[in-house]
Amino acid sequence: MGERIVMVDSGTGLGLTEGQLDARSAAASLQLRRRGVRAGDSVLVCLPVGPDLLVATDAVIAAGGVVWPVPPELDAPALRRRILASRARLMISDLPHAVDAADGSRVRMVVGVADLDAPHPDA
Amino acid sequence: MPQPPRHNLPAEPNRFVGRDRDLDELCELLADTRVVTLCGVGGIGKTRLALRVAARLVPAYPAGVWLVELARIGHAEQIERELARVLGVREESGRPLLDTVAARLGDARCLLVLDNCEHLVDRCAEVSARLVAACRRLGILATSREPLRIAGELVWRVPPLDLPEPGPPRPGAPLAEAVRLFLDRAAAVGTRLGEESLADTVRLCRALDGLPLALELAAARTSMLSPGQIADRLDDRFSLLTTGGRTAPARQRTLLAAVEWSHDLLPAREQVLLRRLSVFAGAFDLDLAERVCAGPPLAPAEIVELLGGLVDKSLVQCDEDRRRYRLLETIKRFAAGRLADAGELDEVRDRHLGALCELQRGHFTTELVEPRVPWPRRLAALSAGRALVDDLRVALDWAVESRNVPLGLQLCFHSTGLLPVGGLTEIVGWAERLLALDLSGVPGWQVAQAKAYLAYGLEARDELERALRLAREAIDGLDGAGPYAMGVMHSLFVMVLLRLGRPEEALLHAQQGLELADAGDDPWNQASGLAGLSAVALVRGRLREAQRHGEEALRRAGEHGHRWIMARAATQLGAVAEARGDLMTAMSHYETAVPWLCELGSGVELARCLARGGRVAAMLHEFPAARERLGRSLALSRCTGQRQGVARCLVGLSVLAEAEGDLEGAVLTAAAAAGLREEIRQHSVSSRTEGLLARARGKLGDARTVALWARGRAMAPDEAARHVLDGAVTAGREGAAPAGDATVLPGAVPPAPQVTGAADEVLSPRAARSPSGVSAVGTVAAGMVGAVTALSAAGAGSPLTAREQEIAALLTRGLSNRAIAEELVISPATVARHIANIMDKLGHTSRAQIAVWAAEYLRVSA
Repeated sequence: MGERIVMVDSGTGLGLTEGQLDARSAAASLQLRRRGVRAGDSVLVCLPVGPDLLVATDAVIAAGGVVWPVPPELDAPALRRRILASRARLMISDLPHAVDAADGSRVRMVVGVADLDAPHPDA
Repeated sequence: MPQPPRHNLPAEPNRFVGRDRDLDELCELLADTRVVTLCGVGGIGKTRLALRVAARLVPAYPAGVWLVELARIGHAEQIERELARVLGVREESGRPLLDTVAARLGDARCLLVLDNCEHLVDRCAEVSARLVAACRRLGILATSREPLRIAGELVWRVPPLDLPEPGPPRPGAPLAEAVRLFLDRAAAVGTRLGEESLADTVRLCRALDGLPLALELAAARTSMLSPGQIADRLDDRFSLLTTGGRTAPARQRTLLAAVEWSHDLLPAREQVLLRRLSVFAGAFDLDLAERVCAGPPLAPAEIVELLGGLVDKSLVQCDEDRRRYRLLETIKRFAAGRLADAGELDEVRDRHLGALCELQRGHFTTELVEPRVPWPRRLAALSAGRALVDDLRVALDWAVESRNVPLGLQLCFHSTGLLPVGGLTEIVGWAERLLALDLSGVPGWQVAQAKAYLAYGLEARDELERALRLAREAIDGLDGAGPYAMGVMHSLFVMVLLRLGRPEEALLHAQQGLELADAGDDPWNQASGLAGLSAVALVRGRLREAQRHGEEALRRAGEHGHRWIMARAATQLGAVAEARGDLMTAMSHYETAVPWLCELGSGVELARCLARGGRVAAMLHEFPAARERLGRSLALSRCTGQRQGVARCLVGLSVLAEAEGDLEGAVLTAAAAAGLREEIRQHSVSSRTEGLLARARGKLGDARTVALWARGRAMAPDEAARHVLDGAVTAGREGAAPAGDATVLPGAVPPAPQVTGAADEVLSPRAARSPSGVSAVGTVAAGMVGAVTALSAAGAGSPLTAREQEIAALLTRGLSNRAIAEELVISPATVARHIANIMDKLGHTSRAQIAVWAAEYLRVSA
């Protein structure tokens, strides 16, 4: 069960199965909660389209947050505007230009995809 | 015994405004994140936030919350020294200081707050990584403009204070953090701002980007200017600045503009004072400010008023009774830049060095040299000297940098805070650096005295041959240094030569030192010389002579009044009494010295004295007293990181165990002591150990004794110690102290009563947040027990809601979120959220764990 492919990475050609998506986003939701994401919080997601984006989005929703997507292709001023407007405390991104654009915003923590997949320290 | 402090956090200078949710989150993050770094530009409030979080977490860290202020430190290699100083760890000979610090921290739950890491960020990162790897329950909260970039670090970006929503302010809406801070600080300078100025205040807060330091500087000016006027002026300044430093990040420019603006508004004389204050490393008092900062155009008498003006404008901080002043790091950097621009840097640093020299000479003379000074005054001088340690380092640094060897050496001579008496051997490093410079213009006696101090430090590090060689080089040139220095030199010879097993030579030096001291009016060196004579006589087996000199030494020491020399004489008499076999008298001498050493705050000497007293008490069969002394001594040696002290306690415990008839414990602890001594390369198989082993073989048999010895050798020192310390709680319970006192930890480490020990594993910042920390510990522990019991009951007592149980049950069938959603006719997102909630409630970290749990406790079959 859960072997159905929900997305194929256009870069690597690797598929993400439903089971993988459920498992990864569940673990990621825990990482977000641990970093203080609460019901109703906006969470910035700035990732290229692909399995990671899907996992991040599902994780934010599962954690009770509101996804505030930011397309990584935006130029710096537009990125900055979006980030400031979100008033989000947390951003999911691995992209240096997105991290730079969060300077001086309300973003307290930037979480990379690797952090989302990291095992919980108590596990 | 009073509880030792569990933190060294300063009192907050004024009200903390806003950031409520940040505080909650950071406290929770630190529960399971080893390293959290608060990052952000200067003036954004990193330090204040860190201190606030740290203060709240004190109940969650039984081994304490310790602030290490790195802004005071100029060199990477001083980080470890400062850490050791804060933790009360003393350097061990032949072991890197950081290893001793790590051993001291061990497995204790402790939080280090490393404030202002940015200028030493690489070394901070190395030190943090090493400590976190070695100490599994240590937490680190750092503040820095740059992340440390080490594994496991969580970078937490400190945001500006919340600004009001765009648009006109809505009446009745709660005020934004930035506005609240501004109004609070304005009220502190006596300005009450009404509704009518709110729009301007909001405009000003926005212009200042919600930067707390900029807001405070602006608010301090509201007695003269309205918020609107300030906002206008700042606007002009921003337009100027943007043409200047376009490359700097926006917020850094905002802050610079605010600091510059505030500075430029100062009267010229206050500007002069502010820039000169930047030479101080740490906090300073008025006296020091007058000594260092007066000079054309400022007269000493006007410093007090100028300083008050700077405090009113929030450029200088002070404590409540206006005794200690300090500059915020950001302001200090700005002021240092101004000092350099004004071309006054060298001159003011010279004055700083000179002033410290003079101050320390005064403290040194009062503490040690001058006769007939009452002890409280001597102690005050000692404490005052110790409090200057940060500025001493900065001044010594300048002495090296400006090649001012004479002043640098003088400062070394008089800095007891850096001497072994004060607990640090740092003086060795400084003297070496100064002696490596060009010495052509330096008087010979100064070089000789520097070598003498070097020798002193080397003795404390157990480098005896080197110490002796240097002392020989020093003594011939020492005439110009005065009789006091010469007397100290002779005492050093006595100590080193006795330790090298050369009592005849030691005798000559003791006699010479005493002659010199008798000729002058120098009770310190009289007492010291007599104690030396007593020690020499003791080694030569002349007990009556040793007794006579010892008594005379104690009398002279009492006349002088310094607790260190008094304790030295008393322990000497204790040793003589022991040699005579008069244990009662020996015990009473050691006991007299204990409160004196407590007063001095000298952990290493106190530990030694307690261990001796404990051993003698054991031989007198006063078991509870022996156990108490040895337990305290062991705790102190662990706290100061002295393995030699731990080994000494183990030997004492071995004596205690044997006296109680516990041969097994006696062998175990003796073996553990031998193992530890081998580790620190201090080989000495004492005759006592050999005797003990012979007795053990007789009673327990060869095989058993050999096995016990091997077991003890492999035992951790604490484990072996506990064997004897706890063992007797069952053996002689009626007379023994309560269980809490008999554990390994009374003394400098807070005693860990059973409840805290158990609960500390589960104690989370959630508990720390509840109003009364201590009772919360019990509550949390009880709550956990409750939860566990509930979980082990079947589904009925489960913490999950009906819907969550249903979903957990479906997970055992391996269904995907989508499949569960279809089955329950809800959306997959809702399923995911339920699963996140289940994981939260049960503490699980994956869907698979929920499935396993559900299969067991909800009695569902897959």
